[in-house]
Amino acid sequence: MFRSRSWFGASWGRPKNPHSLERLKYLHNILCKNTTVSENNRGTLVESLRCIAEILIWGDQNDSSVFDFFLEKNMLSYFLKIMRQKCGGSSYVCVQLLQTLNILFENIRNETSLYYLLSNNHVNSIIVHKFDFSDEEVMAYYISFLKTLSLKLNNHTIHFFYNEHTKDFPLYTEAIKFFNHSESMVRIAVRTLTLNVYRVQDASMLRFIRDRTAAPYFSNLVWFIGKHILELNACVRNDAEHFSSHQSQQKLDDLVAEHLDHLHYINDILCLNIPDLNDVLTEHLLHKLFVPLYIYSLTSESTRRATSSSPYNRDHIQSIEAITRNLEAILKGKNTDTSPARMTFPRHRMETEDECKPSVSGVVSLFLLSQVFLIITHGPIVHALAWIILQSDLSVFEVGATKILEMYISNAKTNVKLEFSKPQLSLEKALETTSSERDYTTPEYSGPKHFGDDLDNTDQSSCDLDPELVSTSLPSTSHISESSSIDHDSTEDLVTQVQSMKSISAVTVKENMPDSPLPDSGIESSSSKSNEFNNITDEEKQKMLGVTSSTSNERVITIESIIDKENKEIEKRPFLKTIFDSLDCSENDYKALFALCLLFALINNKGVNTELLDTLLCPEEEILCSTSECGSNTPVSGSSSNVENEATSSEGKTDVSSPPDRRPLQSFNALLISKLMAIANLSCKTASKVRLVTLELSVTLMRVAMCGTKGASARYAPDVNALRARAASLARNFYKCDDIFLDMFEDEYCETSKRPLNVEWLCMDAAILLPPTRTPMSGIAFAKRLPSGEMERARRAIRTFFLIRDLYLKLTGKPETQLPLTNPAPFVQVGESLDLNDSDLISCDIIQKDGTWQHRFLAVDSIEIILVEPDKQRLGWGVAKLVGSLQDLEIQGDKEDPRCLHLTIHKPRVGASGALPRTVLLRAKFKFDDHIRSMAAKQRLTKGRTKSRQKKMQQIGRLLEVSGMCAPALAPRHRPLFARPALAALAARRSTGGEDDTERRLRRPSAHMLKDGIVVYRERTTSRESSVSRSSSAQGSREGSPRARSEDIPMEEIKRNAAALAVASTPVISQTQHSTSTPLQKTISSSEETSFISSEPQRPKRKGLVETI
Amino acid sequence: MAYAYLFKYIIIGDTGVGKSCLLLQFTDKRFQPVHDLTIGVEFGARMITIDGKQIKLQIWDTAGQEAFRSITRSYYRGAAGALLVYDITRRDTFNHLTTWLEDARQHSNSNMVIMLIGNKSDLESRREVKKEEGEAFAREHGLVFMETSAKTAANVEEAFINTAKEIYEKIQEGVFDINNEANGIKIGPQHSTAGGASGAGGAGAGGLKRRGAAVCNEHWYETYSMPDL
Repeated sequence: MFRSRSWFGASWGRPKNPHSLERLKYLHNILCKNTTVSENNRGTLVESLRCIAEILIWGDQNDSSVFDFFLEKNMLSYFLKIMRQKCGGSSYVCVQLLQTLNILFENIRNETSLYYLLSNNHVNSIIVHKFDFSDEEVMAYYISFLKTLSLKLNNHTIHFFYNEHTKDFPLYTEAIKFFNHSESMVRIAVRTLTLNVYRVQDASMLRFIRDRTAAPYFSNLVWFIGKHILELNACVRNDAEHFSSHQSQQKLDDLVAEHLDHLHYINDILCLNIPDLNDVLTEHLLHKLFVPLYIYSLTSESTRRATSSSPYNRDHIQSIEAITRNLEAILKGKNTDTSPARMTFPRHRMETEDECKPSVSGVVSLFLLSQVFLIITHGPIVHALAWIILQSDLSVFEVGATKILEMYISNAKTNVKLEFSKPQLSLEKALETTSSERDYTTPEYSGPKHFGDDLDNTDQSSCDLDPELVSTSLPSTSHISESSSIDHDSTEDLVTQVQSMKSISAVTVKENMPDSPLPDSGIESSSSKSNEFNNITDEEKQKMLGVTSSTSNERVITIESIIDKENKEIEKRPFLKTIFDSLDCSENDYKALFALCLLFALINNKGVNTELLDTLLCPEEEILCSTSECGSNTPVSGSSSNVENEATSSEGKTDVSSPPDRRPLQSFNALLISKLMAIANLSCKTASKVRLVTLELSVTLMRVAMCGTKGASARYAPDVNALRARAASLARNFYKCDDIFLDMFEDEYCETSKRPLNVEWLCMDAAILLPPTRTPMSGIAFAKRLPSGEMERARRAIRTFFLIRDLYLKLTGKPETQLPLTNPAPFVQVGESLDLNDSDLISCDIIQKDGTWQHRFLAVDSIEIILVEPDKQRLGWGVAKLVGSLQDLEIQGDKEDPRCLHLTIHKPRVGASGALPRTVLLRAKFKFDDHIRSMAAKQRLTKGRTKSRQKKMQQIGRLLEVSGMCAPALAPRHRPLFARPALAALAARRSTGGEDDTERRLRRPSAHMLKDGIVVYRERTTSRESSVSRSSSAQGSREGSPRARSEDIPMEEIKRNAAALAVASTPVISQTQHSTSTPLQKTISSSEETSFISSEPQRPKRKGLVETI
Repeated sequence: MAYAYLFKYIIIGDTGVGKSCLLLQFTDKRFQPVHDLTIGVEFGARMITIDGKQIKLQIWDTAGQEAFRSITRSYYRGAAGALLVYDITRRDTFNHLTTWLEDARQHSNSNMVIMLIGNKSDLESRREVKKEEGEAFAREHGLVFMETSAKTAANVEEAFINTAKEIYEKIQEGVFDINNEANGIKIGPQHSTAGGASGAGGAGAGGLKRRGAAVCNEHWYETYSMPDL
């Protein structure tokens, strides 16, 4: 047929210009002639369809007549016809069709063209067409097509897709059928599409979505999240039991990331602020996932224990179950008496456990709840969850569900006043109108029970038929199918739909049915309650004693009594108790980390009512104060230690009569702080099992928890100070006049200040779900595992000290003055002109690796190494070309050439950059005139390096309160080797007294007495440095020089220091007074022995440091 | 069409830098670049050959979804390669690269190969970003760099294929876990059906072949059990 074009002459010939109306006419003709797809014309058709896309877009941009022709000839209908043919190669053609449509809708700019394209129902017919979705290419193009369309949605175009009269919205309903497709990109496209739909904010369309699709879609979504969680739990359990393989860890990573994706998706929906949708989604999330799975699992651990242990425990557990049930009833707005509800989360068939309800381990549930609170900020959800965790207690039984419901609602009401008005209004509405809200779901759900008579069947269907559940329960898309004459499925569609709808309702009803009568909760609770009061653990009391032992006697009693009371109270809050119990790190901090994450997330969530958080953040007295201020008729008044019995019992009664929001909140602030203190205390022990991340989180929380108190600093400062002392003593174990310790100290400081803890990122890391490890080979960051080896133990001790010291400073409001370690003077700037008259300069050639060669003069200050070039303008002056810190200088001799030295110069760490990692400025070979000058340079550098390090070590010593170092700091004195006019004023300003300047001027001549280095080396001096430097202690090498003596420290300073600190073991002093400093040396060397470094192998780079002449 | 591997790519960058045009230019050579026609697409797939192996590239444009955090997150995670595109005639698109890169690094799996692309190299007269700047940025962040033109098709082919080569090398090195589809890499049907490949030779039975593969793969099975009503 196609071949026949030549018979008709040129008019049917292929127009030369591919972009023209003629060409489109020609293509139209091809479509007309090839209505049936066959092997032969497939290629032609595909190419025509492709060209059509090209021409149409060209036309849209250049020539409107092209589009007119396309619409006039109704060419989209040809597309449909081709699509509907069940032909062998149709997927090939379908892919092309979909690509053409994609291009069309993606590139079209002309609004009217778009409207025309959408105006007849062809696009909807294409949407509902059942392509061969098993072909991944078809699937991908199809879902991209839907997504592209969704990006075109707005208040006008929505009406082309959503038919208000027929209640039809194929674009949406077809897409969500694929929400759980195996291909991640497809799932993402579906989520994108739904979000694009929701955001259109067309009232009628949203009503349709709420009434007809929200319940099935969200319930399925929630169900799959739950399924995912159970998989995640299994993964964690496997890993915990066996050695975790790389692959399973990757799987865990994926599952965690997937859960986060879901939560973010849910949050994105909630953030669109569509009240109706949010209500449904909130309800589903709370009822089907968060409460029955996440919250319930908080107590699941104890469920297992219950079978074996005391009757108290069993009662306790049963009451917890009852609480969960009651809560659910509350959330549903139903009274437990009339319709006892049970957990509706479908049973998960687990091979191992004989549990009747699915649950995850406590660790996983804490982790998941943390994620929920970190991501979701929708008031009604997070507030309800927070309320359950913090407030639900055993009084639920006494008061009865109805009263609790009232209280819950009124709590929510107060919430409205306090914060987010819009979402919380919707919660109120949701709770008040639950019955009417139910109306839209019940018709769908209230069919007769067709199947699912036995429970297994129910599980089966809910486990495996979910995609069907979605697809079949969705409203009919048959309207479009009916309009098309070819499709005969439409009536069948309807029939199946009705049937499947019934089956779903059967399933859901079944799920909602209780399979066992509710236990008589009232009796249970009273019995368990009496047990609890006798059951307060003394362990905790002792711990508290340990914490507060250092404080004054009087206060011990009061704090203790508060904690004591809170300990009793918390027995009645099962969920909060679980969290608090998890904070116990005596064995390890596996669970504690998650409990801390949860508390952190809870406290920092913007959707949670601040009043509710007072439970954790406000101390007892203040809550009582505020409540007695606002509600004068509440009977609770006293703050004596045994008031809580009366308080709770009276609470129960008064709540019935008085407004429930008057009920004073029980505070657990003191208990929380004591638990956090216990963690901090534990981490100050040498063989602690507390990871750094756990400590950092507890310290952060402690700061927040102490903020609520007015006199917090007064109350807790002594404790925190004691803690700080403990941390200092831990770090002191590793303190040593040693290269490594200083480097480590500064590096760790840099680490801590550079990366403050980000809990959200922490909770993205699946690795923390595995039990804490020690080995760095696990690839887990240092802070998230336990230290391995002496080096890491030292690092850990240093960081612990930083964290706790920071807490202390923040609490007491003291400014940070000692960190980062300061240099005694500012560094010279590169390019600065220096007066070098009278200074020691050593001429040298600098040869870099790439062979570049420079001539410079080397000058050494007390803290810096400076390479200068003579100043051309002024004789005796030089321009600084490179300034490096002496402290970090690496010096190495050259084996072949004694005239050479290898130096690695690092950038000085000053001011803000003090917290940055070290950066290498120059690594090169320095060639001196002869071996003597080389040696002189080496000694000068080595000594300068040691000295500048000693200064810093003294600073650390003061920080860590090393004995003999806690005396007042030596006044930082800077005596430059050369005058720096630019900096002189600055230095004067920085120094404590004005006399400093004059002092310096006086001292200068003496500092440069010696100009000839040669004399220096003849004189033998046993230097203190030899014992400081670990490589040389055995050799007893000689270093130093008379010049050093005169330059190091001015005489008057030495005298003053020696007088002031008779025992002070500052190396500076011993260096100058070496003959008398033998006892001092001993004390130092003994401390060296205890240090870890002495047992470590020497660092190779230091080898050339000390040589005997 | 059988393939050894399928790599999923995403294209990221500011709006208007020519992402979708690049995508169409690469995935469908039939669309010849013409001066008076700007045409792009959000999704495309194409088969290429590396090391004698058929590799299918699936490229997803992420345009228009920036408003939703959940979406960007998931996209990054599901991709094995990313093309980070800027427009050499618009300085601001270059300045935003850091933000894009941070996002990508935060959300993607650490092995994702990122290629930096300076697009519209045909508009030399309006150039605002020097080639050297692009090179420096790429060097600094460890990316592969290339300047392309979707208009003239210059370097487009190379950009996509070089990225694929790098991914392929990573697979050979064992860096990528190819059994984990969340990485954006999928093994072709004939890989998973090691023994059953005999029937796959039949050319005419396109649909049948796929069904055969599906049975072997649990994930596929889930999809297929979708009711056709």
